[in-house]
Amino acid sequence: MRRLKGNHICFTVIAVMLACSPFLVGSSSMVQFLGKCMCYSIVAIALDLIWGYTGMLSLGHGIYFCLGGYAMAMYLRLRDNGGALTDFMQTGGLTKLPFFWKPFLSFPLAMLLVILVPGVLAAVIGYFVFRSRIKGVYFSIITQALTWAAYSLFIANSKYTGGNNGITDFTSVFGSTRGVANRGHLTAMFFVALAALVLVYLLASWLVNSKFGKLLIAIRDGENRTFFSGYCVNQYKNFIYTLSAVLAGIGGALFVNFNGSITPSQMTIAYSITMVVWVAVGGRGTVIGAVIGAFFINLCEYNLSSGALAGIWQYIVGAIFGVTILFFKGGIVGIVKEQIPALFARLQSAPAAEKEKKEAA
Amino acid sequence: MRRKTMTGNLLAKAVALMASVAMAVTVSGCASISSTSGEAEGTIKVGLLHSMTGSMAISEQAVLDAEKLAISEINASGGVLGCQVAYQEEDGASDPATFATKAEKLIDQDGISTVFGCWTSSSRKAVKSIFEDYDALLFYPVQYEGMEASGNIVYTGAAPNQQIVPAVEYLIDQGYTKFFLLGSDYVFPRTANMIINAQVKAAGLEVVGEEYADMTQTDFAAIIAKIEEAQPDVIVNTLNGTGNVSFFKQMAEKNYTSDTYMTMSFSIAEEEVSTIGADILKGHMVSWNYYQTTDTPENEAFVSAYKKAYGDTRVTSDPAEAAYDAVYLWKAACEKAGSFEVDKVIAAIESGDISYKAPEGTVTITGSNHHLAKPVRIGAVGEDGLIYEVYATDSPVEPDPYLETYDWAVSAGIKPLE
Repeated sequence: MRRLKGNHICFTVIAVMLACSPFLVGSSSMVQFLGKCMCYSIVAIALDLIWGYTGMLSLGHGIYFCLGGYAMAMYLRLRDNGGALTDFMQTGGLTKLPFFWKPFLSFPLAMLLVILVPGVLAAVIGYFVFRSRIKGVYFSIITQALTWAAYSLFIANSKYTGGNNGITDFTSVFGSTRGVANRGHLTAMFFVALAALVLVYLLASWLVNSKFGKLLIAIRDGENRTFFSGYCVNQYKNFIYTLSAVLAGIGGALFVNFNGSITPSQMTIAYSITMVVWVAVGGRGTVIGAVIGAFFINLCEYNLSSGALAGIWQYIVGAIFGVTILFFKGGIVGIVKEQIPALFARLQSAPAAEKEKKEAA
Repeated sequence: MRRKTMTGNLLAKAVALMASVAMAVTVSGCASISSTSGEAEGTIKVGLLHSMTGSMAISEQAVLDAEKLAISEINASGGVLGCQVAYQEEDGASDPATFATKAEKLIDQDGISTVFGCWTSSSRKAVKSIFEDYDALLFYPVQYEGMEASGNIVYTGAAPNQQIVPAVEYLIDQGYTKFFLLGSDYVFPRTANMIINAQVKAAGLEVVGEEYADMTQTDFAAIIAKIEEAQPDVIVNTLNGTGNVSFFKQMAEKNYTSDTYMTMSFSIAEEEVSTIGADILKGHMVSWNYYQTTDTPENEAFVSAYKKAYGDTRVTSDPAEAAYDAVYLWKAACEKAGSFEVDKVIAAIESGDISYKAPEGTVTITGSNHHLAKPVRIGAVGEDGLIYEVYATDSPVEPDPYLETYDWAVSAGIKPLE
């Protein structure tokens, strides 16, 4: 219980700091960037639910992030150009809006699809994958293959998706978020993302500490035993996988509001693995670790990848990841919760032992 | 105890973050110095935004090097408006979203208003609205598919009518009648082929095949079989990156040379020739505005400076030269404006008087669309791996990114309505 309290206090501190940042940080690009980091954190929590708690390593969560992102981007693009054909559709020779773009003319429908598209896809994939009892490394490979397939599909159908240029030239739900004049829009968007992050954190924390969460951990630590105890493991796995996809989709949908564009490079395998790195460095199986990891790695990238370090920043991030995996399995959260207290305990016990020795003498 | 440590960490991080922001805000450029003072003091900072990591790093490095070369030359000769030029590099990491984040960082956080950057169209499109919203200025140095003319971007590479259209015109003049279009599957080849289809049909000639290869495809057997079946006179090649290596090697394995199937490529420059091999590419045609062999005194100086700075094995190429020109054009525009302020610089650019005696010949920014009027050169790959001009336009070609001055393009509805 005490451990949990530490997590929540830490998250509260992060959330309060974030809530203050639009008023304290002068440059809107930094606020914009922190906004993106919150979206990354949401995806990281989604990934932690299935990897950290259920033991299913998805190396293709970019697909759900992107599907949510594209759904949002399609709505925003159509809103900004008044429902007309986009430039890439005209270049591709289309004369009217494709049927699957039409729902994105309406805001409520688009929001529904942000949730439904990743959710339904994940549920269908999950149904077949988990029914066939595919797990471990085979599950990871399948998620990679699916992401690759989706990536190729988006690139190849450029008249419908914008190809590798993706969807660009749109503003956020509240309008442009750039520059001093639009600071109000940015702040509004920022708090929407913050609210989403808090809700996702609360949902995930509640879920993993409920009986359901204990079952997820049971599946992670001994799937067969859980199965033979009479639990329908497949359905649990499919549910959490689908939920994770939906959360990733929401993260993506919020992300495009800050980014102002979406391209298939957010669904590449490389990018999906980056998401795993966030969770691993932060500390998996802790929820708060996902948030810390996403912020930590992205802040590192943001600050290291310019000037003199620009050519080697990837080595630095790679080294952080490597060291974490080799020496600090619990990530940043593990260092704070296990390694540091253990160090203190050793330091405290050493003099105590000496004292005892003296007394005995 | 635990809790305290964690909050301490976070607070430290937050303080560091705020401090970095505050520092960035206080950075101010030479822009505030009155240009009439004439005193050589202070610096003006520009941004260099390219991929230094990831799959595009290998291409963008040449462009980045050319930009740095131009900056150091300008500094050696007294700078711009009496200010030394400093630069801040940002890594776009071959990812459009990172380009967007970094563009915003450069402009808003670091207070830099002029950026030289991007290579791929996807990265340019991702940052375009950022430059427009913040009213900053981007110099984009690569030939591209056109259909764009932002008021906050200067395009120093070729528009389609300065590379694709004249190349096809040249092929038609040379008596080629059956065209086969081959490209990588992304926006540039698709748009290029849409243009070429319209142009070839308007000339009453025939496109006998149109094929696209996946960006990472290495097996071209099926495509080569389709080429054999279609029997074209010429293959118009818009493959990009590794696809070119595989395609030409597999053509060579079948003993197909430029005599059997002539190709005209839009993405093969000096660097790519050295990767693929001059023995394989010998005799094949390419279309650009500049080659390392281009015979001007300015180019002689440029090539020797480039080799001196980066090594004798390095070759110059069209994108590198366009990036080099971009820095000098910016200098000329600032000098005409008498200021570094973006609004004034853009006004100077739109006057249409900004030109530069570039290695490729004199280039002039066309005020109405921010592209360059530049000469077009068709080249053939020589045995030594360099590209030699076989045809050049007499005078610079006016840029026309939407192909509005070509009847066949207008009637084919190539310009998007949006």
